[in-house]
Amino acid sequence: MTGLEGQVDGGLYEARQKIYPRDIDGRFQRLRTAAAWVLLGIFYAIPWLRWGGRQAVLFDLPARQFHLFGLTLWPQDFYYLTWLLVIAALSLFFFTALAGRLFCGYACPQTVWTETFLWMERFVEGNRAQQMRLARAPWSGEKLLRKAAKQFLWITFSLWTGFTFVGYFTPIGELAGSIAHLGTGPWETFWVLFYGGATYVNAGFMREQVCKYMCPYARFQSAMFDRDTLIITYDEKRGEPRGARKKSVDYKAKGLGDCVDCTVCVQVCPTGIDIRKGLQYECIACAACIDACDEVMDKVGYPRGLIRYDTQSGLEGKRKRVMRPRTLVYATLLALLATGFGYSITHRNLVGVDVLRDRNALYRERPDETVENVYNVKILNKDAKAHEFVITASGIPGIVVSYGSSTVWAGPGQVQGVPVRVRIPEDALEGGADIQVSIQATDAPELRATGKARFLAPSD
Amino acid sequence: MFGAHRPEYAGKLRWPRLGQDVAIVLWPSFLVASVATMVCFAFLDPALVGNDDYPPPAFSTRMTGYAVGFFFFWLVSTLSSLLTLYLVRTAHPDAPERDKAADGNRGDG
Repeated sequence: MTGLEGQVDGGLYEARQKIYPRDIDGRFQRLRTAAAWVLLGIFYAIPWLRWGGRQAVLFDLPARQFHLFGLTLWPQDFYYLTWLLVIAALSLFFFTALAGRLFCGYACPQTVWTETFLWMERFVEGNRAQQMRLARAPWSGEKLLRKAAKQFLWITFSLWTGFTFVGYFTPIGELAGSIAHLGTGPWETFWVLFYGGATYVNAGFMREQVCKYMCPYARFQSAMFDRDTLIITYDEKRGEPRGARKKSVDYKAKGLGDCVDCTVCVQVCPTGIDIRKGLQYECIACAACIDACDEVMDKVGYPRGLIRYDTQSGLEGKRKRVMRPRTLVYATLLALLATGFGYSITHRNLVGVDVLRDRNALYRERPDETVENVYNVKILNKDAKAHEFVITASGIPGIVVSYGSSTVWAGPGQVQGVPVRVRIPEDALEGGADIQVSIQATDAPELRATGKARFLAPSD
Repeated sequence: MFGAHRPEYAGKLRWPRLGQDVAIVLWPSFLVASVATMVCFAFLDPALVGNDDYPPPAFSTRMTGYAVGFFFFWLVSTLSSLLTLYLVRTAHPDAPERDKAADGNRGDG
């Protein structure tokens, strides 16, 4: 595996040659196409799903709440997001240890969108040879037409992608309506263009360069590899020495290996590498070379698998081990974290309370020989329906609460602020003490929460 | 490597240096800025930033607050990446050998 030494080569402005991956069919390419359809389908369809009268998945940033089907998450639930990111990272480690860069080949947005842009390019400009011929040809009416048609497809698809992305943060129905009337808000317009533009540049032009220069995962994935990790590899022992041969000749007698040196594996590679040079960090494990080589092996009548998914141990003819300490540790941690996450998110406390002291007065001595402090109590109702809450206080003998009415209503997903007067007998306290302010739903006693506050009294 | 073989690509398959530099400065800082924005605004509501009576105009709405925050973080992390890249690129390439030679001289003396 090459390290950092590859980074600084090349002149400052020397142009890069575009890579034209040749289209190939085969079992892994059909799997990748299926994965792309499923993932893109999920991405483009989810914002349109409805749940209980509103968008099923909506990260409502202006209102500071995330809707995920029946679940509403608040900024206070931020640690769930952190938890989820840890689970995602650990899954990546686990699958990398197990089967190498599965993520890169089948699920990475960069790969999936690049693949989609390649389909559009092939649809308009034809196969690899036709594309290269078109690129070399002088400008003509036909070239202009084909290039314009490709740009039209790319730009339309990018804008739709940007629109869908913003649809995760703004109700997508309203967004579609406002676009139809050209009345989109400035930030919505900006983010549609920003994400659409990023898609266009990343998938249309930068492509494999993103994996080569910009992706940190490509650099540190080797740390998760061991001798039992599945990688895409060329069987050098079987293939070498490579060379062209006539079908009638006994190539083994001539001392040749199974590789006919047709270079199809290089032509199909989206990163332009030669897999026969060994494992390289540019390889995104798309398995195009496997399908290509299998097809050639079928044609010449040799067994398949000259290029294949295998492990280092497998290549050396040793036993393959899926269960090993590394994968077991990852799997156990992953199972624990996922179970904990599921339990915690279904059993989380649906109400919260925040108690803030009124800034204007420290305390008030009342004619009825009590001392009064004023607080602003914020009741957070994370439940999907409205509840009626009772507020109580404790911590000082004889403490009573008065808040105008006997109960407070908080709607679903609402933060209800209410000014609360707390009184204690004059002789109960000198100076200050901590008190607890509790809320409890009248119709669901399990919905309760307690907040802490400081009560101040004269100290003479 | 294994004898004569027709190269599939005659030209460079890598980006020019300038392209690499722009990419490795802007992209990691974008990732870091995204995370920083998420963490920052999970705890900070841009609608509550500033004096109650005079909110800074940049934070007139939450969406503006988020966007200003994101681009601020991106700018800061870009500057940091840029400095790191500059230091890496301008490091004397044979510095380790010179250090070794100096040690050797001391040992001989």
